[in-house]
Amino acid sequence: MSDPAPIIGIDLGTTYSLAAYMTPGGPVVLRDEAGHALVPSVVAFLEAGIVVGSEARAHAVENPLTTVYSVKRLMGKDVGDLHEDLKFLPYGVVSFNQMACVQIGRRLVTPQELSAIILREVKTRAEAALGQPVSRAVITVPAYFDDAQRQATRDAGRIAGLEVERIVNEPTAAALAYGLDRKQDALIAVYDFGGGTFDVSILRVSDGVFQVLSTDGDTHLGGDDLDRELIELITSEIRAKFGASLEFPPSTRQALRNFAEAAKIRLSDRAEARLQVDLGGDRVFDRLITRDEFERRAAKWVDHTIEHAAAALKAAGVSVQQVDEVVMAGGCTRIPLVRRRVQEFFGRVPYTAINPDEVVAMGAAVQAGILAGMQRDTLLLDVIPLSLGIETMGGAMGKLIMRNSTIPCQANETFTTYLDGQTSVDIHVLQGERELARDCRSLGRFQLSGIPPMPAGMPRIEVNFLVDANGILNVSARELRSGKEASVQITPAHGLTRDEVQRMVKESYAHAVADLTAHRLIDLRNEAHRVLAAIDKARREAPSALDAGQQAALGEAVADLKARMDGQDPDALSLAMRKANEAAMPLTQQLMDEVLRKTAVGKKLDEY
Amino acid sequence: MSDSSRADTAAPVKCRQCDRPLTQPLVCDFCHALNPIAAGKDYYSLLGLPRQFDVDVEQLRAKFVALSRHAHPDFHSGESAEVKELSLQMSSAINDAYRTLRDPASRAGYLLELLGGRSSAQDKSVLEGFLGTMMMLQEEIADAKAAGDQPQQARLRGVLLIQQEGLMKRIGSLFTQYQEAVGCEAVRRQLLDELRKQINAVSYVRKLLTQLE
Repeated sequence: MSDPAPIIGIDLGTTYSLAAYMTPGGPVVLRDEAGHALVPSVVAFLEAGIVVGSEARAHAVENPLTTVYSVKRLMGKDVGDLHEDLKFLPYGVVSFNQMACVQIGRRLVTPQELSAIILREVKTRAEAALGQPVSRAVITVPAYFDDAQRQATRDAGRIAGLEVERIVNEPTAAALAYGLDRKQDALIAVYDFGGGTFDVSILRVSDGVFQVLSTDGDTHLGGDDLDRELIELITSEIRAKFGASLEFPPSTRQALRNFAEAAKIRLSDRAEARLQVDLGGDRVFDRLITRDEFERRAAKWVDHTIEHAAAALKAAGVSVQQVDEVVMAGGCTRIPLVRRRVQEFFGRVPYTAINPDEVVAMGAAVQAGILAGMQRDTLLLDVIPLSLGIETMGGAMGKLIMRNSTIPCQANETFTTYLDGQTSVDIHVLQGERELARDCRSLGRFQLSGIPPMPAGMPRIEVNFLVDANGILNVSARELRSGKEASVQITPAHGLTRDEVQRMVKESYAHAVADLTAHRLIDLRNEAHRVLAAIDKARREAPSALDAGQQAALGEAVADLKARMDGQDPDALSLAMRKANEAAMPLTQQLMDEVLRKTAVGKKLDEY
Repeated sequence: MSDSSRADTAAPVKCRQCDRPLTQPLVCDFCHALNPIAAGKDYYSLLGLPRQFDVDVEQLRAKFVALSRHAHPDFHSGESAEVKELSLQMSSAINDAYRTLRDPASRAGYLLELLGGRSSAQDKSVLEGFLGTMMMLQEEIADAKAAGDQPQQARLRGVLLIQQEGLMKRIGSLFTQYQEAVGCEAVRRQLLDELRKQINAVSYVRKLLTQLE
């Protein structure tokens, strides 16, 4: 009965993606030979082809228009939802069929296809690590993702060649990853602050039952926003110093973004971070940013997260004192300010034992294990985050399913016709908490047809709205007088139709890289080039940093690496690279200081 | 009209998989196969609880969890489309049942309609004088909020909570009287009418409470 192919858990993150799988001993994160689990969620379109991950990210400054990051922010959305983001994104985003799409040259690429490219990379690495093909996955989404965003994620999985067995909420996954050892009743709050999204969920865990009581959040609040605070600080000061009309072309913006992100991360460990930006023409922007300054700017975003936490508690009907444990997920939870505020608010030290970058993927693996029948004792009861309803007369939102209802759940509503002989009825389905339809999120128009012709007002069309375990809406309809099943045609508001997804699945199979080894070899060779270049540069900058013995060892390792690069053995190449990095360690440690340098060697920022 | 809490079918329904008689509507005790919900099954019989207002919340949760462990889609991932569909339908019914019966006010409204009482759409009336009280409270809430008077808002909240408590006690007592008035249709009709008014009143109180959160 059970399929031998494992179901893997995938965290498709705004900044990083990774996979894990379930073993009898618990969830295990899948890593490459170098021990890396995280794949940067970046796709670059180069002349030579499409690259993903670290390699793509390395190209960001040189190719800002064709390197796409933070795709997750575009999923299930249209351009109108993204005004703030668009100011900061160097790549082109245009609206097509009410979907935000990325413009690469002449081509328009949907966020689903971009996410599929990332997923395909994660899938390939998982297959390499597991030593067997992978075709089934559980993919995580922010708890606050609406129907359109969830469908987009599922479509991305399909296009990547995966059977998406379940879409699971990220905070719930984090709770699953932590909860394996807990047997007693506990009230758990999960605080998930990622690169682009924020969620907080309140769960009751008792005797293997994980019941989500409520969830709250913002799919548009994350580490990216903190980066932007620093970017704005830097750009405004640069303008003040070097000219108010100084424009920042895409490659400059990308470089500044790299600086800001690196500074943000550095400030988690150090009280200050130094920025040196070479603007060309003898203009250098040299600035020491303190943690205090960063925290002052970051404070308002962190305050928002605490507001959401308070709202989640209220919706769950519990007080902050009743919370037994606070669990953290997402890279931003490493920031000292965040940890302080969370501890202040909940009045207890948050539990951070599991790597916040990995905990969600591990939880997805646990869910995969449940689906594979490995865990009969664990029952997961999640909720729908936003109310679902239809547009009623006068443009109001008529709620049919309330937010925080345990899923699966359903509601029925009966409609009729207003013209004699009318054989189809349109309904407009919405998601959100506001009173007016126009303030809620449109899920699309549902056309119910095949209604037997009758006088106006006679037909009794019962429409069943069923939200499945993925938190995705399924609509079916039946005309009660005749008993006839109506056909439901969905025109999604911000998504792909079934046919479009099918087409993309076919196309991606045609472009799939057939030879796994060849792909790995290309990746490794590129990485080896960079390692050699970095070692070379370091040697030039600190020629006397190594003693004779260390110099000899390094020389040998470098020669070996160069030899392996021409070979056909990816494992040997990977090993040689690791050895070269180790031999260079004493050298690079000397060079590590507070100064952050530009990523591309020898490149100056454009000037106006 | 009897309000027996047992299944109202003529012959015992058999499990579609192992053919043994089903002791409960959804999951076979012997082979654990999911069985389609017979038409007209109410939330009480779905969860295997007696049809009455007083519900042991712990027992309700235990039954809900036990059934979910069998019905939830997570446990039928590798099975046929038919079973998956059944699991989906069943889980949503169980979830709806638990949600409705867990909250005393929604439970009261549900039970009232099961017993043949009018729905809130059909009868929006409340007891005399109640609306006047609510309107006064509404004004006081608006004033307190406009003035940013937190202590006053907290006081009003307290008043409303006491009102709600009183109403729920009355509702509980009315249901008990209903159960005891076996065979007295006229009395039962009256009780259902009053129940409708009291349950409508709780809705009003709750609406006002949401303004004070």
